Amino acid sequence: MSWLNKPYSMLALTTIMIGLPVMFIAAIPWLKQQPESVVYLCAGIAATGTVVASFVLAIQKHQKFDEWHRSAARFSSQWGWLAGAGTIAILLSFPALQNAIVAVSGSLGDVAAPDRKLVLMAFTGGFMSVVLAQMVCTLLLSAGWRYWMSRSE
Amino acid sequence: MKNRMKSLRRERGWSQSELAARVGVSRNSIISIENGRFDPSLPLAFELAAAFEMRIEDVFQPASKTD
Repeated sequence: MSWLNKPYSMLALTTIMIGLPVMFIAAIPWLKQQPESVVYLCAGIAATGTVVASFVLAIQKHQKFDEWHRSAARFSSQWGWLAGAGTIAILLSFPALQNAIVAVSGSLGDVAAPDRKLVLMAFTGGFMSVVLAQMVCTLLLSAGWRYWMSRSE
Repeated sequence: MKNRMKSLRRERGWSQSELAARVGVSRNSIISIENGRFDPSLPLAFELAAAFEMRIEDVFQPASKTD
């Protein structure tokens, strides 16, 4: 895939990766007036585009890495995920952050007084589902990698 | 893993960048390997030894248990 190494492809992928979430946030006032199906469709397109663009960018970067850079990327991603998840878990116990989450949810959803418990449960549930999905994917990929690497000729 | 890369490189008058270019890695890799903070893969260790025109065991030595 030689096109991956072209400067314009990197620019295009970076634009997609950053542009889609920015466009989605900018379109929130318009999205509020749309049916739920349109909102979910737009959110899905934005999320998928961002993930795919960042994944392809990662592959592009990875091709230029030597083993020292790959080791650095492995170390930082391994501990970065853990530090990020741990930080959110700790921060969620602070009332100031809880208030901010409820306020932002109310503002985005045009609800004057959203149910605090419901909002926090939904936020925590979403966070937990991401952590669980990562754990499951890590287990599956680990099993797949070990099977593939230890297969007989 | 111990190595003699720094002294061998200096004997030849090569900079870290020059050695990095010879074996196709970044200068950061060379710095870390010379400092003993990063162990190269076996293919890279062979390439480094080949760059010095030496055997791999003459460039790299296993760290002793007391290290």
